[in-house]
Amino acid sequence: MDKALFTYKGVKPVLVKLAIITILQSGTIIAQAFYLADAISSLYRGDLFRAVIMKLAVFLLALFSRQLLTVWKKQITFHFAAKTSENHRDLLLQKLFRLGPRFVGEEGSGMTVTLVMEGVLKFRNYLELFLLKMINMAIIPIAIMLFILTVNIRSAVILMIALPILVIFLVLLGLAAKSKADRQFKSYHLLSNHFVDSLRGLETLKYLGLSKDHITNIKDVSDRYRQATMKTLRVAFLSSFALDFFTMLSIATVAVFLGLGLINGTITLHPALMILILAPEYFLPIRELGADYHATLDGKNAGKKMEEMIASESGEQEMEAVPFWQTTSTLAVKQVNVKYHDNKRAGLKDIEFTVSGVKKIGVIGASGAGKSTFIHFLGGFLEPSSGEIWINGDRVCSLSAYGWQRQVTYIPQHPYIFNDTVFNNIRFYQPEASEQEVREAAENAGLLEVIQSLPQGLETIVGDGGRALSGGQEQRIALARAFLGNRPIIILDEPTAHLDIETEAELKETMLKLFNGRLVFIATHRLHWMLDMDEIIVLQHGRIVERGSHEQLMKQHSYYDQFVKAQEGDCCHG
Amino acid sequence: MGKKNWVMPYIRQYRYLLVLAIFLGFLTILLGGALMFTSGYLISKSAARPESILMVYVPIVGVRTFGIGRAVVSYMDRLSGHSLVLKILSEMRVKLYKVIEPQALLVRSRFRTGDILGILANDIEHLQNFYLKTFFPAFVSLVIYAVIIACAGLFSLPFAILLAIMIGLLLFVAPIVSLFYTKAKNERLKKTRNELYYQFADAIFGINDWIFSGHSSQIIEDIQKKEHQFFQLEAKKQSFGNWRDMANQLVLGTIVVAVIYWANGLTVKGVLSPMFIAAFGLAALSLMESFLPLAAVVSDMTTYEDSLQRLEMIEMKRSIVKQRQEPHESSNDSSNLIEVNHLTFGYSSDDLLLNDINLAVSPGEKLAIIGRSGMGKSTLLHLLQGALTPISGEVIIGGRDVTRLEDSITAYISVLNQKPYLFHTSVRNNIRLGSPQASDEEVIRVAKMVQLDEMIQQLPQGYETNMQETGQRFSGGERQRIALARILLQNTPIVILDEPTVGLDPITETKLLSTIFTTLNDKTIIWVTHHLIGVEQVDRILLLEHGKIVMEGSHQELLKREERYRRLYRLDRPLQGKI
Repeated sequence: MDKALFTYKGVKPVLVKLAIITILQSGTIIAQAFYLADAISSLYRGDLFRAVIMKLAVFLLALFSRQLLTVWKKQITFHFAAKTSENHRDLLLQKLFRLGPRFVGEEGSGMTVTLVMEGVLKFRNYLELFLLKMINMAIIPIAIMLFILTVNIRSAVILMIALPILVIFLVLLGLAAKSKADRQFKSYHLLSNHFVDSLRGLETLKYLGLSKDHITNIKDVSDRYRQATMKTLRVAFLSSFALDFFTMLSIATVAVFLGLGLINGTITLHPALMILILAPEYFLPIRELGADYHATLDGKNAGKKMEEMIASESGEQEMEAVPFWQTTSTLAVKQVNVKYHDNKRAGLKDIEFTVSGVKKIGVIGASGAGKSTFIHFLGGFLEPSSGEIWINGDRVCSLSAYGWQRQVTYIPQHPYIFNDTVFNNIRFYQPEASEQEVREAAENAGLLEVIQSLPQGLETIVGDGGRALSGGQEQRIALARAFLGNRPIIILDEPTAHLDIETEAELKETMLKLFNGRLVFIATHRLHWMLDMDEIIVLQHGRIVERGSHEQLMKQHSYYDQFVKAQEGDCCHG
Repeated sequence: MGKKNWVMPYIRQYRYLLVLAIFLGFLTILLGGALMFTSGYLISKSAARPESILMVYVPIVGVRTFGIGRAVVSYMDRLSGHSLVLKILSEMRVKLYKVIEPQALLVRSRFRTGDILGILANDIEHLQNFYLKTFFPAFVSLVIYAVIIACAGLFSLPFAILLAIMIGLLLFVAPIVSLFYTKAKNERLKKTRNELYYQFADAIFGINDWIFSGHSSQIIEDIQKKEHQFFQLEAKKQSFGNWRDMANQLVLGTIVVAVIYWANGLTVKGVLSPMFIAAFGLAALSLMESFLPLAAVVSDMTTYEDSLQRLEMIEMKRSIVKQRQEPHESSNDSSNLIEVNHLTFGYSSDDLLLNDINLAVSPGEKLAIIGRSGMGKSTLLHLLQGALTPISGEVIIGGRDVTRLEDSITAYISVLNQKPYLFHTSVRNNIRLGSPQASDEEVIRVAKMVQLDEMIQQLPQGYETNMQETGQRFSGGERQRIALARILLQNTPIVILDEPTVGLDPITETKLLSTIFTTLNDKTIIWVTHHLIGVEQVDRILLLEHGKIVMEGSHQELLKREERYRRLYRLDRPLQGKI
């Protein structure tokens, strides 16, 4: 039983409503059996068909009402499940936007999309099925049992005894199947993944000349997988076998005892027949409970995962005003520390620096030295655990403040291209920009040639669902956004390292043009950027170890100097 | 529809097992009906107050037998169905693999979907459900239907026809109507869901843009709107299903009433004893219920279509690979290991990716190819490996045309690419893939050469550690080293390096390149690279642009001769000459 179920908003009235309908429904089930048995037994006694038409009509009416109530119940649970899952999804989305890219990155962006897309559906499905099954299970067998008790105690006792036995066997066999599956899990997992593994690695197999021979391997493993699965299924299906077996056995026993009762004259045909019709209905809810077990389990887990994410900590975004960055502005960072909760990564330690006005600042260091963390701190994606930030002499609580972020253009290594037209992609930050302005920005970013080569020009759909762009073109879209947005601060995270060198060279020119008159932070491994920087911040193990221009740092025989030489490589002095 | 290739052959191949599975399914339902029939008979007979219990002995035994028999047969039925489906699954896997294997090197460039191979593997799993949830139940219902009508026909032809029509409502009309209704709905649902998916992807992958732009509430609102649309569609579909099921139940009730009416008529005529009224009524109730799920099951059929279409598509692509022209017989006995003569390639003749490329590589020579993405670098590599057939010209390796070498090409060329795949098995097995006969000592020898031996020894199970369970423990550079060890075992005269260092930091990159060039010292290397780190180590550098070689020479020559090269080199190594 899932306790969380009872905490959802509006679940109680829904449960009460469902319970009332189900009680009514039990009445219709009994009426249905009563009148069908009545009709049959009077025909048996030799009554004319005309005489039982009314009874059969009532039977049909009962059947009709029962189904009508089922539809009603389904609609209620459907809407409740939809509302609850919708609520979860909205909370989750809002939470994600508050937690920001850092969190999404840690969870895995793909994972998060799947959770929101699939998880919500699964959760809804679970709520829908589970509520119905639970309420049916809780009410219908008891109602039928109570009714039979008033008619024939012996049958009622048989059914009463059968149910717990059935449940016990179900649980025992379920456990046996689970432990068997658990024992096999490792090999099972390996076998079931073997095919996907083979397909994904096909290119590599081909290079190695093994791809043809691998076919026998696949066949072999598939057969082993089949055998292993069948072994597990043989046990797993036993639980539904037990369910069937005991249901059928109970019905048969009830039938035999009813027969004996009839022979002895302790019961008449009508109630006997009625009990026989009701017996399968008595077992129906528990049999339904077992079906779709895995689907409901998945949904339950998805719900749990969403609730965990919703419950995770996040600060509200500060709405505080941050003065607009001008050539006279200063940003002072004092004693800032950033810690990761998993303690695996270094974070930042005692970061302290001051920058003012228009300046280009390079951030450099070995991988793992904290470059990305530094950039994420500047972008306001993560909150420092201690330290102070001052802008123009005023203390600012956090760089995640809206007032700071709306002055910043952030360009990562792989800028995201939205599933939309090139036009809308460029004016993402300025949705009201005119075509003229967009064209200008595109021209500045060197995109015009690319746009001309596209089938529908600016109106071409790009992104995952549209036309694919190369890495360099994606960067140019990001640059066009930046030109159009015209924000005074630009933060870049390794914008060119993955590009081929000629594209890199061209992009660099465009970028330098963009940097004019702005405050720029650029974290990169690529040394050529450093020559164009006014100042370089050198990071090592999360600390700033050196600051200064390229020339200053080279002269000192510094860490920077060693680092640069290591990177230029000793192998390369041809 | 791919039914022709992905469904029918298996039905034909396994027809006996299929008949068995359907027979068992039929028997399960029949025994359920028989149980209710004999129960009804038993109590009717008992109600006649026979003198002794022995008079109802046969029905008592019957009730028990059918009850237990149903449970047993149902168990067997489920097992046989699953066993059959798993057999079919295994065959489909082999088939899919055989379809993809010839085009392995091109799949990635042909399909934009990131994980098309993972998706195809899922499609096959998905088709399992087609058999278990749609095919078997539908057939079982048909058989039951035929038997019921035949039995009714023995007693009365008009009644058999009436029954055929009424059950036909459950068996044909409801599923077909529902199939038509849901087909259009499912189509729209799929479309809306796709749009939603892209919206979500935009929201999640573009999250920092939303935050910086300050209008993240916009996307939440958009998603809610679209979700609402989706929900409306679903609610309609759901409500259709509910009312359809209800109508089916009413038909069921009517059939039961009709059966009782008919059985009564027979007793009045004296054909049947009145004991059978209850028997027929109860049996009808139980048998009809088996027809109810059919409508829902059949309307789900449309969900398999996507999977079938994808499988069909990948099969069609195969034919593109197969159209091999007769290669030119070459009389080549020069000392060059690789010779490329007038090589031209394009998917259409007015859009050439490579245009009249000529190249000769001698044994042991090290060659670097640079150029922008989309300028023909990967096409050239594919042609060198014989994965593509040129429009004109030829590639000759070891004196033979590569298109003739087919699979023996792997004896000449090994490849280290950007993301070498490491299989879900031990580190040792992953390395040994390079040469399956290699001894443990040889594996350790190559691991030492790529400087990984020490690191591997420190893993919890050493060389037996499972590659994927180590998760993050292998960094990008280390993964490349494992792949390099594999190549050392493969021991081919030519090694292609296809941008193996993209995504590595410069220090790791430099170290990896140094290991690569040391260990592959005696090999011929063709190295495609995106920038110039390490190019000093090669004998010759080519710059590919618009399908042509526009610059060629050693590093020193190019530095002297080409301003363009000097400029690129300065960008890559800004401090050279300053230190």
